[in-house]
Amino acid sequence: MNAHPQRLIDAMATTIVGQRDVVEALMLGLLANGHVLLEGPPGLAKTLACRTLAAALGGEFKRIQFTPDLLPSDIVGTRIFDQHERAFATVLGPIFANIVLADEINRAPAKVQSALLEAMQERQVTIGPQTHRLPLPFLVMATMNPLDSEGTYALPVAQMDRFLVKIDVGYPTRDEELEILERFAVRDTLPLEAVATLDDVARWRAQAHDVHLESKVKAYIVELVASTRERERAYIDYGASPRATLAIANLARGKAFLGGRDYVVPDDVRAVAPLALRHRIGFNYRVTTDGVGVAALLDRLIAAVPTP
Amino acid sequence: MARYRALALALAASAVLALPARAQVLQRLTVRQLTLAADTTTPHTERRFHLIVTARVSERVSRLENIDLPLLASLELLGDQVTTTRNAQGTTYREVITVVAHHAGTTMIAPVTLDAVDARDGKAKRYFSNSLTLNVQGPGVLATAGPELGALARGIFDVLAWLVGGVALLAVVIALLRRPRRPAPPAPEPLPPAPLPPRARTRADALRDAALTLRADPTRASALHVRNAVRRMVGASDAETLEDVLRAIPDDEPMHGLLRALERAAFTHEADLASAVRAAIDRLEAMSA
Repeated sequence: MNAHPQRLIDAMATTIVGQRDVVEALMLGLLANGHVLLEGPPGLAKTLACRTLAAALGGEFKRIQFTPDLLPSDIVGTRIFDQHERAFATVLGPIFANIVLADEINRAPAKVQSALLEAMQERQVTIGPQTHRLPLPFLVMATMNPLDSEGTYALPVAQMDRFLVKIDVGYPTRDEELEILERFAVRDTLPLEAVATLDDVARWRAQAHDVHLESKVKAYIVELVASTRERERAYIDYGASPRATLAIANLARGKAFLGGRDYVVPDDVRAVAPLALRHRIGFNYRVTTDGVGVAALLDRLIAAVPTP
Repeated sequence: MARYRALALALAASAVLALPARAQVLQRLTVRQLTLAADTTTPHTERRFHLIVTARVSERVSRLENIDLPLLASLELLGDQVTTTRNAQGTTYREVITVVAHHAGTTMIAPVTLDAVDARDGKAKRYFSNSLTLNVQGPGVLATAGPELGALARGIFDVLAWLVGGVALLAVVIALLRRPRRPAPPAPEPLPPAPLPPRARTRADALRDAALTLRADPTRASALHVRNAVRRMVGASDAETLEDVLRAIPDDEPMHGLLRALERAAFTHEADLASAVRAAIDRLEAMSA
């Protein structure tokens, strides 16, 4: 089929009203072979966006609702004894899919989160004596609800770092909400047909990986990440790790590729930096008490670094 | 050497393209003098010499801003020293630029400009210095001769210089002794402000110079310097990305195209570099036509 990623974005736009940033961030995660964490109140099409992406790719989609009583085996699978065969058989869990939606990931205890995050990192799962590779592409989209904090288990910093990007999903504009009303009030969401294949995704990833990153742009990325460790010390307890540097570079390549270029410009870096930095910086309580806000502080940090 | 060449291009491009920016703040000054001089107008290739910019203003200021040097594309910049001195008469700015020419021939150096609000009438003005024509000579005898011959020639030259100097000094002393004493002449009237030239440098002039710079040195470094200079020309700060700059000038489509072409030339991969630089030069020339 040899589809272009823009076709996938356009197809998703037929189902998702607005949320262009969310759709693009999902695409960037897909191109950079990284996992995505979406945070936002309920009802903002987080699940719909993930489901639509899976449908547009023709890949297998699984949704796991995280709850306090969830067990690791509910995610990765388990071995059960088959009475007829008189032997243990392996039952693969819902993580064996191309796109996995981990809904409200912070509602499950740490051991379940760890099971998921280890699978995300190693892209394989060991059940009993056997190791099973996860299908390719493998993309986890996890959601968190920032409003209900009761009965939740905050994701440890090291595990947050495993997500390539974190997207803050915001409310739609009035016009977008009106369009949602007109589009979906009279009928259900139409099932989306596949407009690209998993082979297309593999090809896009290879092309995005080859996008040129000039040395001055690399230095700019390093400077951006270093600035999170050196500036705004009143609001930041710890800065981003070198994994953030790699993440920004990969995302910027993806952004350039989506823009039809085979080289990265500083604009690409500037655009993707918040996605990679937001969850990797240890903001302290003063960000809230002083009314600064994480987004504004991130913008300030990024704007303070001169572009090449 | 390459570092200095890059520095020279950076300074040259940024100087030429530094036209008044969006948020430029001009100093309020009474400009009494703005000159451009050289310690020789017939320099030899591969021998360093100095260009000297002197500006005098009546106000006492810590620094003079908005002084723009001309494009020194035919010279290589080796160093740059600025001194600003203040006294009861005002402020004197002196910039000594050490340069070297690599090619013989006639080189014209455009005037230095100073943008300021004239303290006398409150109007923003651009002051121009004189231009300078240099007749660059080929390598001199001393430079081309062997080391022994060179040393001998330098020795002869030194003796002759001392002799000529001595005779000249003697002549001056005799002339002073014979000169009848006269009353001291009245103090000269202060110079009127430098007259404004008929036409200020336009954006097209600056872009034409930038095209020449890029054509003379079609490298990534040069493209990056020209890109940064053009961005400054449209008033962009260091923190702004291309998208920020384009948003600030929504109606200037040709400039959008130029900025995009320069962005490509600055950051594209090696295989595409030559083509990207050519495209940027084409845009610069089209806009300066």
